[in-house]
Amino acid sequence: MRDHESEFKQAGATLAAIGLGDMNYARLFREETGITFPLLVDAERTAYQAAELKSANLLHLFRQENAAARARARRAGHHQHKLGKNPFQLGASFIFGPGNRDLFVHVSCTFGDNADPKSLLSVLSGRLSGGKLV
Amino acid sequence: MAESFSAKLANVVLPEAGGGDVRLGSLWERYPAVIVLLRHYG
Repeated sequence: MRDHESEFKQAGATLAAIGLGDMNYARLFREETGITFPLLVDAERTAYQAAELKSANLLHLFRQENAAARARARRAGHHQHKLGKNPFQLGASFIFGPGNRDLFVHVSCTFGDNADPKSLLSVLSGRLSGGKLV
Repeated sequence: MAESFSAKLANVVLPEAGGGDVRLGSLWERYPAVIVLLRHYG
């Protein structure tokens, strides 16, 4: 997602990430990657619980789509850094608008189930709404 | 009607790695915001 920061900005949106690791690790990650958008630290999973996001289990590790997602990430030059206190916590991607409007929602169902940045950019450019073509 | 995800998250306040605290709702108060809840840093 961080590779698309400038495109999100050009589309008029702010990008922010929330992570489960501790503050020291978040700072190290920021220095390593050179990201400039807000990187928020949620060591207690407050946001994850507020959004009622899902958790995976050991069986998810052996799913075919998990292997495919790991291969995809490796090809893109990404590698997994340290996991937080809850390695089974799954994530999500949203686009929210003024007035607490949900413009896009993708809640991960398993490891590697991430929103395609192109879908988010499409929403921002007005071609999609709620993940569906309009 | 079910509460939106943005409404559920708007009042959550989290520390930012660069310093200071951020109320999540402030991120999309005026313009859209892409919010990604990561499973891990990477």
